[in-house]
Amino acid sequence: MVWPILAAVLVSAGNALSRKLFDLSSNAFLELQWYLFSAAFLSAAGYVLLVNEHVRIDAVSQRFKPRVRAWLDVVVLAIFVLPLTGVIGALGFHLFEQAWTSGEGSSNAGGLLRWPVYACVPFGMACLGLQALSETIRRLAWLAGRAPHPTLAESALPPFMPGPSRPPR
Amino acid sequence: MTAWVSANLPPLMFAALTLFLLSGVPVAFGLAACGLTFAFIGIELGLLSPALLQALPLRLFGIMGNETLLAIPFFTFMGLLLEKSGLAEDLLETVGQVFGPLRGGLALAVVLVGALLAATTGVVAASVISMGLISLPVMLRYGYHKRLAAGVIAAAGSLAQVVPPSLVLIVMADQLGRSVGDMYTAALVPAGMLIGLQVLLVVVLAVLAPRWLPALPPEARAEREASGASGLRSLALLALVSALASWSFVSYYPSWLQRIGRSSAPPPDEMAMVALGAAVGAAFLLSVVDRLLRLNLLSNLARRVAFVLIPPLILIFLVLGTIFLGVATPTEGGAMGAVGALVLALSRRRIDHRQIAHTLLATVKLSTFVMFILIGSTVFSLTFQGIGGQVWVEHLFNHLPGGPTGFLVFVTVGVFLLGFFLDFFEIAFILLPLLAPVAEKLGIDLIWFGVLIGINLQTSFLTPPFGFALFYLRSVAPAKEYTDSVTGRVIGAIKTGDIYWGVMPFIAIQVIVMSLVLAYPQILLHDKTGAAKMDAQTVNRMLQQLPTGQSDSAQDPMKLLLEQLKDEKPPR
Repeated sequence: MVWPILAAVLVSAGNALSRKLFDLSSNAFLELQWYLFSAAFLSAAGYVLLVNEHVRIDAVSQRFKPRVRAWLDVVVLAIFVLPLTGVIGALGFHLFEQAWTSGEGSSNAGGLLRWPVYACVPFGMACLGLQALSETIRRLAWLAGRAPHPTLAESALPPFMPGPSRPPR
Repeated sequence: MTAWVSANLPPLMFAALTLFLLSGVPVAFGLAACGLTFAFIGIELGLLSPALLQALPLRLFGIMGNETLLAIPFFTFMGLLLEKSGLAEDLLETVGQVFGPLRGGLALAVVLVGALLAATTGVVAASVISMGLISLPVMLRYGYHKRLAAGVIAAAGSLAQVVPPSLVLIVMADQLGRSVGDMYTAALVPAGMLIGLQVLLVVVLAVLAPRWLPALPPEARAEREASGASGLRSLALLALVSALASWSFVSYYPSWLQRIGRSSAPPPDEMAMVALGAAVGAAFLLSVVDRLLRLNLLSNLARRVAFVLIPPLILIFLVLGTIFLGVATPTEGGAMGAVGALVLALSRRRIDHRQIAHTLLATVKLSTFVMFILIGSTVFSLTFQGIGGQVWVEHLFNHLPGGPTGFLVFVTVGVFLLGFFLDFFEIAFILLPLLAPVAEKLGIDLIWFGVLIGINLQTSFLTPPFGFALFYLRSVAPAKEYTDSVTGRVIGAIKTGDIYWGVMPFIAIQVIVMSLVLAYPQILLHDKTGAAKMDAQTVNRMLQQLPTGQSDSAQDPMKLLLEQLKDEKPPR
């Protein structure tokens, strides 16, 4: 989930250097960059929802009671986010299927096959949809008094990279 | 009823969006939810075709394949790495030693280091956190006014969002459909004005209220000669020699370019880059020679300054240099800077693979929420444009008095006020797509518009209660009173109110510069010598001595612009 970013940085810097120094460049490198970034941010969408870091405007809502805020989250997640991930995911999957069977390539010379990046969309939407379902259930369970308060901070999760080094600020 | 809804759908949708966003649900999902709701209403009312939603995946691929947006993870990654690399620490300590003996010197050092870091990276967190951790305790120890110390750190840190390469300017360029390079060039002068005015404010305060920003006492000056001299004279001499070396190189540079077959004269921003590189190279060479031959002509302080300035200036060259020289696109410049910062941090053994992974995770989280706001705003705008929202927005501004000027003043004031409550991604991705077509129709230069909004959004990092620079400073400033380890004095806590009051004069500076840019758009494309202010005084001196042949092209903004366009696009 995180390493594609490093790969994209290296590909981008390498491509710029090789173009200048050796006059050697390819659309494949340019496309690889955004394939990698898309893979990273789409697959991270569910995780970012889990650690509650999709930004909110809480200037007004911080005065609401926790129960009201939980209900608002349930409404938006269950009624809007779930269907939307379904729609985009299904349409994306359709495009992926087409590209897979037809072997669709990029329209740029030397470009890459399209299906891997199309595949990121249904995958990312599935992750986000499942996480939205999970967040909905956890909020409903709390509202029904059957579970602890669901807002999870990243620090409450098992460490991302276990080891002695301190987490970033 | 149905007829009334049909006729008033755009304002209803906008009102619904406000409600969705204020309800505190994640912005990305609120935008998408609003778009989806009104898509169904529109389809039910027969205003929209049911096939509308099928455009969504294509829009999504458009966002994914946008090369400019790739700069967001690259610059974020670079900024986070720099924060860990210890570069800011070294700079602050050294520059603090140089200016410390002056009244207000520490505050001056903060502004200059803030400007230098700003030219290195495009994110605010890195500079504010490092300065809050390093300079703030020193300033408080030697009796700086709490509010002034907090204000100057937050303000200098926020410069990262307006001095190229800044994320704000990248996002502006993307949303307005202009080249990032043009946006950078246009932002140089206002960025220089901001830095200059911050320096001026510190100097004026040092004269009027010396008790608020005292000089460092002699015992606090660590870097001294065996003889007890401060070594400042040697530093001044080194600066002079490097300036001379750089000047002679720069005056030779255009003719050398011609000899290798480039016909156009180099634009001023390229000259500034070259002058900077030559000056630093000369200073570095002199210090190395001095050290290797054990001549001891240079004082400790002079040598330290020469060495500590090298890494940030190499990074500036890697990022800005390659962009302005046309070697790399801004995105690639960000990638080169990130690689540079990675090499720097690794070579100093400041990070291991775990910390790289943590830095990447922080980068991914930020990029993800930004990209999803953009996706949400696409869902919104797809419907909003479908139901004729753009016409409604234009109609709304038609009633505004004053034509283009009235529009600009209204937008500037509006964005400034919204900046108190929203952060810049929200303003850039939600409001800008609505405003940009109106601006274009009114015949407003979109680069000017972008820079104006860019400074405005940079200000939103400073405005309480939701300014990011203030949050970062709060997270590292002492929240309780503590006993200073050096002087043994008890030092009071920095209250959140102190930070808020401290930034007020700096917000005033922002407003002044915004008004100037609004009133005199010609300063953006015209007098490019202002670019010198973006860095240390060395460059400033350089540029005053630039060969006069430059001024010919500088007088004709169109010609200058065309030349830049020619040089800036790297071959694909």
